[in-house]
Amino acid sequence: MKKILLVEDDEDNRDLVSFVLQRSNLSVELVIAENGKEAVQKAVDDRPNLILMDMQMPVMDGWTAVPILKGDDRTKAIPIIAFTSQAKLEDKARTIEIGCVEHYAKPMDPEELLTLIRKYVHE
Amino acid sequence: MNGSQTNTAQGTAAGTSPKVAAKQCFLAADRFIKDARYREARLEIEKARRLDPANTYIPAFLDRIAYFEQQQKKERGNVSGKETPALHPSPQPAPSSAAGIQQKIPAAPKPAPVHSEEHPQAPHIAIPKPAPAPVHFSPASQPPVVGTRTEIPPIAPAFVPEEQMEHGAKSAMDVNLQEMKRQIQMLTHALEQEKKAREEMTSQHVHVATTQLRTALEQSWVNGAPNEQETIRLHELAVSLAIPDEAEQTILREVKLKMYSTAVKEVLSKRRLLRSSSSTMEWLRKVYQISMSEYLEYETKFLLDLIADQYKGTVLYVAPTNGSNDDLTRRLKTAGFAVVRAASPEEALGKIEKIYPNLILCQMEFAPGSLSGIKFLHLIRSTNKYTFLPFILICTTAEAGSLQSSELRPHEGFIQSPVDFDELIIVLNEKLLQLRDQISSLS
Repeated sequence: MKKILLVEDDEDNRDLVSFVLQRSNLSVELVIAENGKEAVQKAVDDRPNLILMDMQMPVMDGWTAVPILKGDDRTKAIPIIAFTSQAKLEDKARTIEIGCVEHYAKPMDPEELLTLIRKYVHE
Repeated sequence: MNGSQTNTAQGTAAGTSPKVAAKQCFLAADRFIKDARYREARLEIEKARRLDPANTYIPAFLDRIAYFEQQQKKERGNVSGKETPALHPSPQPAPSSAAGIQQKIPAAPKPAPVHSEEHPQAPHIAIPKPAPAPVHFSPASQPPVVGTRTEIPPIAPAFVPEEQMEHGAKSAMDVNLQEMKRQIQMLTHALEQEKKAREEMTSQHVHVATTQLRTALEQSWVNGAPNEQETIRLHELAVSLAIPDEAEQTILREVKLKMYSTAVKEVLSKRRLLRSSSSTMEWLRKVYQISMSEYLEYETKFLLDLIADQYKGTVLYVAPTNGSNDDLTRRLKTAGFAVVRAASPEEALGKIEKIYPNLILCQMEFAPGSLSGIKFLHLIRSTNKYTFLPFILICTTAEAGSLQSSELRPHEGFIQSPVDFDELIIVLNEKLLQLRDQISSLS
């Protein structure tokens, strides 16, 4: 079973992503991290197939965590989708610059999010 | 019948044991009694006494003979009082078998043992016995136990002694009929009870089966339509539970709508995190395979869970009169709002002073020459007493883009057309809540 690491500090957002994935027919396991620091550790431990990374978080934000993950041989191959409410064009360019494969702006649309996830998680 | 040759035990007694010879005497006496030849019968019994003085049948036979003689005398007396007495007592009607005697005589003076197992030496003698009592079917006080068969006895006519029949045949028939009627009523009652028990059993079985299927369906449909393999398994379960196809489809429909309804509520509670409630609803409808007709049919049911059945406030709904706007009006009323219609902003301005709405719901575009929705919004804003009046615009997707970049105040908002009613209700509630808080903070 494929694994998706969701890095998100907002509980409602976590619940919503979980809700959408449960109803997606995707056979995936959702691993949760509440900040960037936790995400780095879980990425090493769980080796997910995809990371959904919120960029604004306490303890360690996505802007810090993504370069760490991309600099680690064990995790650098894992595709990371920036999952953020920052919708400006420069934000999008910056997330790609630090190593994210996609930039997905909140608020989410379930079908759109699933299409994006399916692109990186092949069953 | 040639009794003197065939009835007598004389001759057969010689050369045999006394007990066997006595038995032969008893048999001969029995035949004489049947032929109403009581004197010869007495002689046979006397012979038996000489052969086997201790035999217990001797006094019983003598009593029996005495009883018949007495009966014969009574009958003669009765007949002589009415008709010409018969020369012979009653040889013709005399029964030719022990059963006949049994039927004619209600009770023996002294019943004697008749079982040859207990008295191997005793002859097979028809001892007068009471007639069998009528069989009364008493239905069980408890209803028939499920799975067992209720024993239903045959209907038996009430026993009426022949004597009674002779003296009151009509009343005896009535008694018989009454008894049969009573027994039929009891049988009918018992059958009804059994039918009821079977119906309960069937109902219970159906309930258990449907509950089992419903539980399985709910587990499989909690996150949307199950895969093909699971669908087949669920259908097989329904078949194994003997649930008809039609019932299976009904349960399936109820379950998926229930699951969908739960999902809708969950999504709506997180509406602020979703880009569009309407597109999310559409996605959910696909996930739960809800057709549009099913959605519309059950929409009211879903909404009942979402709204309270009470007055929510007065909405001034500014939109041209047409079918879809009328429908929205009706649904808003169902949702607990008082709705005042205005076909244009100009008409709305005339009504606003009279009705003091809690919220304005307005379309963007109106007929040429009329104010647009945006201009109407600005006009309302500029009026001091309506500064905090919630204002919701109904706009197209393209218009929504420009509205997002414009500065809408907290108590203002928009909703995209075609209107998702669930989303509209949430927006209205939000804005009314803000108004309440605003008023509270002013005081």
